[in-house]
Amino acid sequence: MSTEPIADVTDDAERKKNRFQFDRHTPEYRERFTDITGEMLGKCPVAWSDTYGGHWVAAGHPEVFELARSAEYVSNDHDPNNERRGYKGISIPTPNVGFRGGFLEMDPPEQRHYRQALNPYLSPAAVARWMPLVDEVVRASLNEKIETGEIDFVDDLANVVPAVLTLAMLGVPLKNWDIYVEPVHAGVYTPPNSPDIARIQQGRIAMREDMLRQLAEIRANPRPGMIDALARAEINGTTPPDGELLGVIALLIGGGFDTTTALTSHALEWLSQNPDQRARLSAERDTLLDPATEEFLRYYTPAPGDGRTITADCEIAGQQFKEGERLWLSWAMSNRDPAVFPNPNEIDLARTGNRHHSFGLGIHRCIGSNVARMVFKRMLVAVLDRTPDYVCDPAGAEHYQTIGVIQGMKHLPATFAPGERIGDGLDETIARLQVVVDEQRLAEPITVRKGAAEIS
Amino acid sequence: MKVHVDRERCQGHTLCAMIAPDVFTLDDVDGHSSALDGEIPADQEAKAAEAIRSCPEQAISIIP
Repeated sequence: MSTEPIADVTDDAERKKNRFQFDRHTPEYRERFTDITGEMLGKCPVAWSDTYGGHWVAAGHPEVFELARSAEYVSNDHDPNNERRGYKGISIPTPNVGFRGGFLEMDPPEQRHYRQALNPYLSPAAVARWMPLVDEVVRASLNEKIETGEIDFVDDLANVVPAVLTLAMLGVPLKNWDIYVEPVHAGVYTPPNSPDIARIQQGRIAMREDMLRQLAEIRANPRPGMIDALARAEINGTTPPDGELLGVIALLIGGGFDTTTALTSHALEWLSQNPDQRARLSAERDTLLDPATEEFLRYYTPAPGDGRTITADCEIAGQQFKEGERLWLSWAMSNRDPAVFPNPNEIDLARTGNRHHSFGLGIHRCIGSNVARMVFKRMLVAVLDRTPDYVCDPAGAEHYQTIGVIQGMKHLPATFAPGERIGDGLDETIARLQVVVDEQRLAEPITVRKGAAEIS
Repeated sequence: MKVHVDRERCQGHTLCAMIAPDVFTLDDVDGHSSALDGEIPADQEAKAAEAIRSCPEQAISIIP
């Protein structure tokens, strides 16, 4: 396949002959995902859809691979004030928000400057330092429910741990996690016409106020963390305005919270439905945990895709595009391409050659991928150890109605044989961990602090 | 067998080091991969081949 500029694109009817009425925001798309994906992969791995003002949809694995890695022709830029070319960022349709979603809605060089500032907090070595703290939050979260024999894996575990860790890495007080968790989680799955939207808006305002307060506090009185890195960052030689930094902090929070929650809840649901596979995973975790994690990532693709804008007339992956056209890169559909994944609609915990696209590809690869993997694995292993016989209640399991933004779950109640608490509960643990974070300056970048958290 | 990671293509997905930790090393600061210099031990060749197959960016190649 080639990527090249072209002088003359052929006429639209010819270019857009592969058509598919694609609307990922409908419940039908979630319910018929396997069929729709099979149809697109078979007939039109790149198709034109008339929905949302018209846009391309890339579903095939090789096509998504080429397009996502063609940063010179494919832009993430969101330019709501029309200061450059008026591009619309990564959401299709464009939400009516008027600000950029952090560096995921930027192109290089700004995007690269942000990532260079944050990489030392998010590299595999940097993330591994947090594992003892994560284990404490997991232990304490399970303590809250272990004696009752009942848990909601979303509300009581998978929503809590990623939130607490993300705030710790940002440099925000851990106890503030409950300001953030509900607006982020419910904000993703609640449709704009829901009667609940006013409550979520209130939550979002409180979250935004806290982000601004933290940024101001850290500027006045620095403490380590990613917010400190952003407050000091030179992006293209200047300090970005607070509004832009808020977009970056919101991106880190949005990326850090609900995606890992979504992956964990889906994996726990599947393991409840497949107890033999659960027993196998637990027994063979030394060799199976890594490939099983990649397989859950592939199959459930928590962030199912990203939008882009074509920056010049070009031909990529055998398809001609025109400057300004919108494009949806479907990580989720490309993850089911039978040309790359034998039996793509089955979960194979030991799958090899798993080149999935769940963290995206190219220069925008999810910067939090190492956090997601580590937190997921620590939650999963703890559940296998402390509630090995859990059974999810199918009547109570509630999936997001649509998977246009995040493929997640609202609730996943389960029962299990009650067990004993180990150590203290969540609030006491979080208070104790705050002291550890502060005294050991855990949120420093790897360039400053190499050692893991020490928890007595 | 010798392998090479193309630093321009590598985006720090880390799968290679997860699959073949004795062959690939990740940079502490940005997580990008580099391969062992020289000949890969015979007992690591299968893992190195699986890492090549699994790289999402197809950034790893065998040096002829």
